[in-house]
Amino acid sequence: MATIKNRQEATAWQHKYDAGAPRVGDPAPDFELRDIQGEDPIRLSNFRGDKPVVLIFGSFT
Amino acid sequence: MSLQNIYREYNQQIQFIKVYIREAHPIDGWWFGKGFMNTLLRLSGSKVSWEIYDPKTMEERRTAAGDCAESLQYGVKTYVDEMNDQVNKDYAAWPTRLYLIDKNGVVIYAGGLGPFGFKPGALKRAIQKQLQEGMT
Repeated sequence: MATIKNRQEATAWQHKYDAGAPRVGDPAPDFELRDIQGEDPIRLSNFRGDKPVVLIFGSFT
Repeated sequence: MSLQNIYREYNQQIQFIKVYIREAHPIDGWWFGKGFMNTLLRLSGSKVSWEIYDPKTMEERRTAAGDCAESLQYGVKTYVDEMNDQVNKDYAAWPTRLYLIDKNGVVIYAGGLGPFGFKPGALKRAIQKQLQEGMT
């Protein structure tokens, strides 16, 4: 994904990837990510059978 | 309705994960740091930054994610998407998006595309419904 430069690129990116994004009733794609120190990996599937999960996606701008 | 308040109310029952993804409006991209949008957003009291270039390395991305977490103070621990943007792509998350996933790993709330589909109030209602169903 390159840096998005304008509204047209933003709309195109969203439409492209939203087509494959999970909907209600779909299994959530699993992932493993690390924190801002590059440590403490977290895997989404580790919470199965334990508790619901809220995912908040965003950036600083 | 703020995410900060939702987190405070439900963090004992729900796992919250903030995923820092590619910048939405960096200086070297679709920048809102000048003109009408800048004026509008500054007047709104927004805490977002206008002084960030899109990170080019994982180290830069982690630094920006840390600055973001410190400024926004959601209280939710931040995890950082890799430079291939895989999680961002899997969830069509750019520029911002909310999901709620049940204990079986199934999506039970999929927020709309950001920024206009970013609705913490709708997320809260989905959480309340999920917790009520979990008690029956």
